[in-house]
Amino acid sequence: MTHKLSILLVEDEKNICDFITTALSAQDYRLTTAHTGQEALPIITSQCPDLILLDLGLPDMDGMEIIRQVRTWASIPIIVISARTQEQEKVRALDLGADDYLTKPIGISELLARIRTALRHSNRLNTDSPLYKRPFHAKGLTIDFEKHQVLLDDKEIHLTQIEFKIISLLAKNSGRVMTYDSIISNIWGPYADDDNSILRVNMAHIRRKLERNPAEPQYIFTEIGIGYRMVEDEMH
Amino acid sequence: MLASVKGFFRRLEKCLPPRLYNWLITAGLLVIATTLSYLFFQIMDSPNSNIALTYVLAVFLVARFTPGYGYGLFASIFSVFFINYRFTYPFYALNFTMTGYPITFIATFAISSITSAITSNMKEQARILSERDRALMIAEKETMRANLLRAVSHDLRTPLTSIIGSSTVYLERNHDLTESQKSALIQHILEDSNWLLNMVENLLSVTRINNQTARVNKSPEPVEEVISEAVIRLKKRLPNARINVKVPDDFLMIPMDAVLIEQVLINLMENAIVHSRSEEPVECYVENTPDSAIFHVRDYGVGIPPERLPTIFDSSSSTASTAADGRRGMGIGLSICKTIISAHSGSIQAVNHTKGAEFFFALPKEDKEIDS
Repeated sequence: MTHKLSILLVEDEKNICDFITTALSAQDYRLTTAHTGQEALPIITSQCPDLILLDLGLPDMDGMEIIRQVRTWASIPIIVISARTQEQEKVRALDLGADDYLTKPIGISELLARIRTALRHSNRLNTDSPLYKRPFHAKGLTIDFEKHQVLLDDKEIHLTQIEFKIISLLAKNSGRVMTYDSIISNIWGPYADDDNSILRVNMAHIRRKLERNPAEPQYIFTEIGIGYRMVEDEMH
Repeated sequence: MLASVKGFFRRLEKCLPPRLYNWLITAGLLVIATTLSYLFFQIMDSPNSNIALTYVLAVFLVARFTPGYGYGLFASIFSVFFINYRFTYPFYALNFTMTGYPITFIATFAISSITSAITSNMKEQARILSERDRALMIAEKETMRANLLRAVSHDLRTPLTSIIGSSTVYLERNHDLTESQKSALIQHILEDSNWLLNMVENLLSVTRINNQTARVNKSPEPVEEVISEAVIRLKKRLPNARINVKVPDDFLMIPMDAVLIEQVLINLMENAIVHSRSEEPVECYVENTPDSAIFHVRDYGVGIPPERLPTIFDSSSSTASTAADGRRGMGIGLSICKTIISAHSGSIQAVNHTKGAEFFFALPKEDKEIDS
């Protein structure tokens, strides 16, 4: 790789900054840190980092405000860092345009995986690559978007129209969490009912068709109170 | 039927000023009594005793359903005069010369005042009882909080001591240590801080329970999603954990606070893995009954000492468990489970089966609080 990918870390805790810096510099990323929102915004506009890691609890401003401002002019992937119990905060950040979130405490392998996923999705948008047309493949599951076909260990799985729509939406965003609201408005349209139980029921059907044990899923993971995440596509 | 009448009156009482409400009750009852008396007067030959009884009943009811003595006394005076004026000879005139009239007077007054006295007494007693209940509840909450705090400080100090000790040794004795000793120290720091984090998350989860009502915000959640996330999160921390999970084939949505129930499942499964001292996988399954979903966590290990079963969900027993098996107790974890399940109007129990221990908790399918 000729140029290092640059990442901006916005986090006020020095100790957390330190360990993320150590971990990421070993991975050949160029890392800049900002400790406050006021410090972060000029860096984002002048340097245009390839990815932003954003802690929502900043001393000087609400992290949501940074997402909102960045999203007015750029689609730089933003990964939000937040505490576990605040699902509402995560959903709000995702709906504002954040790409993904990480729960404290942050595991390094998980952090790296999320960074790779977010960067890949942003590249896909920029380069207009034919990736969307290529079938999704992971752990024996193949989803062919063009043929409308789902294969599990080379056996065809029959899904209803809606079920196929849901699973292809998740597969196209594999590795990222999709909120209930974004899935519902994608599948049923923007004026669909707020009640997400229809989605949950459809998910249960899909799970019974795909997963060997619905209580120990291999492909579609639940993020309680937030949404669903499909396992990472293996071919990239 | 009776309940709906009661409900109607309760609503009426709420939306009217209290004095107007009481006057309305008094007037209403007297109007009913008068209507009945007119009816008796029309169709009966000697209606006098029936009329008197009807009014006595009305006076009794007025005294029962209004506060204080005033309304009852008014009703009894009205009744005595009105019966005399309208229903006894000479009609449409007051005549108190009839024999025995003072007795009627005194009897109605007595009925009204005695009933009023009993009613106020009853209300007062109900108030005292409910106050005592509330005081008891507050005291219970206080003891629980104090116990929890004591257990927490004890349980927090131990891993903190170990973390501080290990890092101090690492920094100060850096040259004397071999590589394996160093990584063992770091390993201990990691384990202890993970344990601390788990504890803090447990404690934080309790803050999601409403302080005033001791209830949680429920929304219907698919049981399988909650269990699968709990297992995934537990396996992140204990990668070697072996857990067999089974959910019902029918899709099951249960009203709950999913984050909290997840915490309960994680605590119970971790408890089973750490304390069973067995390599057998832990079983976690859900049973679907007509009015609740029962979550079971079952291990095949040493079981729970029978003398601990009755107090296993009290936080105070955590120190005892530390002493008993040399591991850190799950006392706080279990008492938090109990708190969470109670806040869901559910129940939790621990039993020994033939080959180990089993914890199970039931969550109601319908929200009872909404109905009542």
